[in-house]
Amino acid sequence: MSTATPVLAAETGLIRFRSVHAIWWRHLLALSRVWQVAMTWFVIEPVVVLLAVALGIGRLVGEMDAYGSYALFVAPGIVIGTAMFHAIFECSWSTFERIGQSYYETALTAPVTIPEIILAELAFAITRALISTVAVAGFAIAFGWIPLAALPGLLLVSVGVGLVFGGIGLLFAALAPSMHALSLVFTLVATPLYFFSGTFFPISVLPDWLQPVAWAAPLTPLVELARGVATGQLGVVHLYCGLYVMALAALLYPLAVVLMRRRLMK
Amino acid sequence: MAAIEARGLIKTFGSLRAVDGVSFQVERGETYGLLGPNGAGKTSIMRMLAGLSPISGGELFLSGLNVAEQPRAVRTRLGVVTQADGLDGELSVRQNLEVFGFLIGLSRREARARADEVLGFFRLRERGNAEVDELSGGMRRRLAIARALMGKPEVVVLDEPSTGLDPESRIRVWEELAELKRADVTLLMSTHYMDEAETLCDRIAIMHSGRILDEDTPPELIRRHAGSAALDLRPSGSSRADIRDALTNAGLRFREVGAVIRVTGGNGAPPVLPPLEGVQVSERAANLEDVFLALAGRGLQEEQP
Repeated sequence: MSTATPVLAAETGLIRFRSVHAIWWRHLLALSRVWQVAMTWFVIEPVVVLLAVALGIGRLVGEMDAYGSYALFVAPGIVIGTAMFHAIFECSWSTFERIGQSYYETALTAPVTIPEIILAELAFAITRALISTVAVAGFAIAFGWIPLAALPGLLLVSVGVGLVFGGIGLLFAALAPSMHALSLVFTLVATPLYFFSGTFFPISVLPDWLQPVAWAAPLTPLVELARGVATGQLGVVHLYCGLYVMALAALLYPLAVVLMRRRLMK
Repeated sequence: MAAIEARGLIKTFGSLRAVDGVSFQVERGETYGLLGPNGAGKTSIMRMLAGLSPISGGELFLSGLNVAEQPRAVRTRLGVVTQADGLDGELSVRQNLEVFGFLIGLSRREARARADEVLGFFRLRERGNAEVDELSGGMRRRLAIARALMGKPEVVVLDEPSTGLDPESRIRVWEELAELKRADVTLLMSTHYMDEAETLCDRIAIMHSGRILDEDTPPELIRRHAGSAALDLRPSGSSRADIRDALTNAGLRFREVGAVIRVTGGNGAPPVLPPLEGVQVSERAANLEDVFLALAGRGLQEEQP
């Protein structure tokens, strides 16, 4: 049988790549079947925000010393904030629904392990973050708010967004007793982070006591990295940001594995 | 080598022992039924075998492979139909099969070819492009069984394959399971339907409170525990208490089910009634239900010292 080789890997605790690939493919297939609706998430909604903020609020704000116009400041933040929503939605809401529909139970009857499921979920969170970034950054590039050369860098940052916020979403999916409880991931995590992570205004304008909190928030280093890439002003602070993101991802992955195993294996 | 072997298998949830030291063997090509009420431990045994639930104690083997040590190897040889069906509502009928085929290790082309085969076998080919939500309950169950067959497993585990189906769908599922049996697939199924167990299974384990009370072929279980025939007594209103006393004094095994008092024999013999008045007696062939009532009743008494 063609499954003979991965069997060995299983018993030694290695990752069977086919499991990750197949679950990721399933998610992509499911998304592609609703592509008309998905288009609105990936394009219309973020573009509305981008135009309203950059053109509307930007008109009131006027020039920002370090960045030129407000649009140049805010565009990378909106790109990354939108990617965050996609990653966190995928791994909390969609994952929670799949738990309820016994999707993972079925997957586990195949030669699949929990770490492979978690990796597939994260891979798809990254995929959604990347699609979102291509769409939103594409518009910002067309308006001249982000240089085209920054796109590869923004995509790299979006991989970090997928890992960190996919991971956070999975913790909520694994712990939430109900859909109601799950909605806390948006009210407590996604929405506050969207506004207070240096996305719409520099953290330096916050009161002194709130600044350290904003810096520790998991979206902040990613927004900071995206802005550094977009403006070409990269410094040592971005090195710390990158390390912080990697540390978060490294912490969230095993935690998600443990909590999801507790949820799925009884 | 047995297809499935359990040795002193245990499953605990906190202080509850859902499976309490169960041992059995299923031979290759055999259809083996776990029969018992909800909470008897049937589902727990199947979930442990499918790798969906950690084993708390004892040992479980599939074709000689230790389930606890080689879960992945076990699952490449096993098809599982869970109670929930676990169908993917976001994919079409055909995609459900192909994506699962890819997940278990088939190439996309192999998965497509195999999906054609199982859709044909389950007479679902015309529904290949339908959404799962458009299927009837019977079709959903057959699709779940079809999915479990994608990897041509040696052993298929079915948790209550016909629960919730209308009579016609049930018969259809039964026919298809019988066909699998003819193809030498080993089947382990749980059910709480006596007629299902009697029709499909070569051997049955009667379970109660996490234990196997007895195990054998259906006719042998009936002979041993219910005798060759059973009697249904229908007392008139006032005579019920007298009849109960008379049966007890005669040392007969009986159980009151609604308006009827069922009296069973044992060891191949029909029950012999003492002289009774004010009662309508009808004789019928003993069945598994009589066995279950006899055994489970005894099991319950043992629990209460």
